[in-house]
Formats: sequence, C-alpha cells, structure tokens
Amino acid sequence: MKVVIDKDKCYKSGECYYNHPELFKMDDEGFPQVLVDELNDATLVQHAEEAREVCPAVAISIVE
Amino acid sequence: MAEPVADLGPELDPRVFDSEEFQRDPFPVYKQLRDYHPVYHDRFHNRWILSRYWDVDGAFQDNESYDRAMYKPDGPYDFGSSHVFGPNILEYGNSDEHRRLRNIVAGQFVGQKLNDFLPMIDQISNEVIDRFIDDGEVEIVSQFSSQVPIRVISNMLGLPREDEDTFVQWYQYLIAGLGFGGEHLARGLKARNDMWDYIDPMIEERTKNPGEDLLSRICVAEMNGTRMTPEEVKGFVALLLAAGGDTTDKAIANMWYHLMYTRPDQYADVVAESSLWENVFTEMMRYDPVVHAQFRFTTREIPVHGKVIPERAGVILYLGAGNRDERAFENPDTFDIHRDDLHMGRENRSGRYKDGKNGHLGFGIGQHFCMGYAMARQEAAIACKLLAERVKNLRPKFAEHVGITAPSIDSGGFRAPAELWLEFDR
Repeated sequence: MKVVIDKDKCYKSGECYYNHPELFKMDDEGFPQVLVDELNDATLVQHAEEAREVCPAVAISIVE
Repeated sequence: MAEPVADLGPELDPRVFDSEEFQRDPFPVYKQLRDYHPVYHDRFHNRWILSRYWDVDGAFQDNESYDRAMYKPDGPYDFGSSHVFGPNILEYGNSDEHRRLRNIVAGQFVGQKLNDFLPMIDQISNEVIDRFIDDGEVEIVSQFSSQVPIRVISNMLGLPREDEDTFVQWYQYLIAGLGFGGEHLARGLKARNDMWDYIDPMIEERTKNPGEDLLSRICVAEMNGTRMTPEEVKGFVALLLAAGGDTTDKAIANMWYHLMYTRPDQYADVVAESSLWENVFTEMMRYDPVVHAQFRFTTREIPVHGKVIPERAGVILYLGAGNRDERAFENPDTFDIHRDDLHMGRENRSGRYKDGKNGHLGFGIGQHFCMGYAMARQEAAIACKLLAERVKNLRPKFAEHVGITAPSIDSGGFRAPAELWLEFDR
C-alpha cells in the first residue's frame, strides 16, 4: 500500500506532516512529500489512515 | 497610516526590553534587532532573540532544533502541577503526548464542526450589541470585545449561561496567572481550582451521557483508542476559556482600534464590502497581533547568521518583529487592508500558500500553530460585521487615543487597547 497526495487539491495546510513526521515532510514549496514508499507495517497504515481522515483538503489517498 | 519607524542605530542596551517605552512601542527596537542584530544574545536576560521574518519562520518550522517544552516528557517534572491551566498541551514540546492531545481536540474548531457553531456566534454577538445599541456610544473593550468570545466558548462547551459572568472573572485570573508575578500565579491557581470543582460533576455526567456540546465531545473523543483523562479535560477547558477567550477578545479590540485611529479611511471600505472584515483581521494579525513573542529552547548548537546559539539556550521568536520585516512585506509599517503582498485568506499551519504570498506569523507556524485559528477569525469577523451593520456613522468618541497599551503582568503579556470609546447613530 502507498500514500498518494493530490497536489491540485492540497492547499498546504500542513496537517499531515506536523501530525505524522514519520510519513510526511514539507518540501520546499510547502507540499507534503511522502517519505515511505510502501506501507509495510500496521502502525504506518494506521497513521496514513489518520492523515487521510484529518486532511482538510481531502488530498490524501491510500492505494494498493 | 503609521509614523515611519526610527532607525536607532546598532547600539542596543538590553535593559530596553524592560522599559515602558518598549512595552508601549516595541517597533523601533524590533527594526534595530532585524537590521543590526538578526541573532541577538541578550546577556542581561540570558536569552537569544530572532526577529527577521524568515528566521522566525525557520525556527517555528525546525522542531529538531527548537523545542517549546521546558521539561523532558520522561523526566521528573509533573506536567500541569505548576501551570495555571493544569495539564494541557501548552507545556508539552514536540512529543507524542503533545500530538495525541492536540489531535483529540484540533478537529473540533475547524470545518463543518465550526460551521455548526456559526449561527450561535451570530446570536451571541447580537445579544451583546443589544445591550448598548440604544446608548449611542460603546466602550468596545468592556462592553463588546471582552463579552463575545467568552460567551461563545462557554456556550460551545454547553456551560450554564447564568454563570457566564463567573467565567469572565475566572478567565481574567487565569490569564493574569500566565504572567510572571507570584500573587497573580497564586490567584490564577485558585481560580483554576474553583473552576475545576465547578466542572468536575459535569465531566462525570457528560462522559456518561454525552450530548452535542463541545465538553461532551472532548470527554468522549478518541484518538488511537484512547480518551483524555478527567484532568486533561479540565486542563483543556481552562485553556479554552482563557486562551481562546482572551486572545480573541483582544484581537477584536485591536481591529477596531486600527480601523478607527490608524486607518479611518479604510473603515468606509469595510462598511461598503463586509467580506473585507477578514482582511482587517489578517492585517491586524500582521501589523500588531495580540501575541508578539513565543519562546523556544534549543536542542543543539545552531549556527545562524555567523553566530552560534548554544544548546539548551532560551530563544525568543519575535513574531511581532518578523511581521514588520521589510524583507517579507513592502512598507511593513503601514496598516493596509488591501495589501497585495500578504496572504489574506485563512491561515495554514505550514505558513505556505498557493497564492505564493507570505502569511502573517501571528498564530505561530508549524507544530504549535494556534489551534483556534479558524474560530478566532470567524468570531472576530462575524462580531465586527454585525456591529458595523447595526449602527451608522461609527466614530471615535475622543480625537486622541493613547494607543495599544503595554503588555503587562496583568494582561499576560498580550497587547490591546485598555479602553476604546466609540460613538454612533442608529
């Protein structure tokens, strides 16, 4: 499983990278950069789901 | 408009920070810091100071190097024991505990949950205005700005409306206790204990039978399968009443002060186009926000502008100075609600905007960005818009005003006018 960011929807609120620094980091423009290629453990999946839930722009999805 | 800010030259005596002059008008010293001492080691107060926009922003962003917490989460310090709010997220640094507590409540003040509260903000603002609408004059601070936010928050929490005057007293003591004086702290801690006794049975009841109110939601909100402890709920209620009430209160007063005395010409623009109240809010948060400084502790040696800030040093981030940085904003000392180099819409925790403009630093940035940012903006815009709509020819009662007053121990270090008399027609 992977985390995907839709940059058109994203408005750089920062919620994902401040809440889950193990998964995301802010790039030079303020967009999130996904740090983990493959969500290969249950905690990471749970954190990714939380990030998706709280994203105010609905810009985060998790794909197989 | 504003007077041009004087160039004081490089000589800076750190005792200036204790002077009344600095408290009243810190901007010349801010400019001196930015221009001559971008990293200032204040040996008199044993602290370091950052003041340029991008340095303040950079420190807010860099959690690895700058920690907000005074104590380690796993050390001997009993969190909440000597804080006026009790256990609350303000004492925690960049820890998992901070993230957990923040995540439980942060979602309550934004988006649809905030929208659900908007009609109530309308209603309370109108009730407050009703009390003075027939007088032809109003003292904004005591009759308007200090009355709206506390009533909004206690209403959101679902606290009994007949006790609202008591909450106003408590939050004023709590805020004073955030300052530095022993007696203020003692009175703040007593107000905290009285409030806790008052709210204890409500927490118990709403945990069992939660309603739609915010207190119920906080009691039963879950994150990773855990809830807040009753102590944490109480700490959060104290934080909400005090921090959420007082800062918004002062923000509204600052907006009116600047529209009436700094830019009366732009008040006409706002009356003609009420959506501009959001711009008034944003420009106030840049030009002279309620909070001017945040504190951090370094976690390592940090090289900045050719100097090195040592590990475990106290650092002041003067966001009030960063907001006036010529490197970020043109004519920074001019209050202008039509400014085109400032991001005018809703703020982001990241401080980065798709319109490419710089945002104000008034809510902080990053991990500890103000949680009530969206609510503060809505409350201020709605309350001000309603007042402007319900009266005509709103104007200062007195030609002269002493200005935004010094932050003092009694005000918890927040900046606002002490009094603001306005007159109006119906």
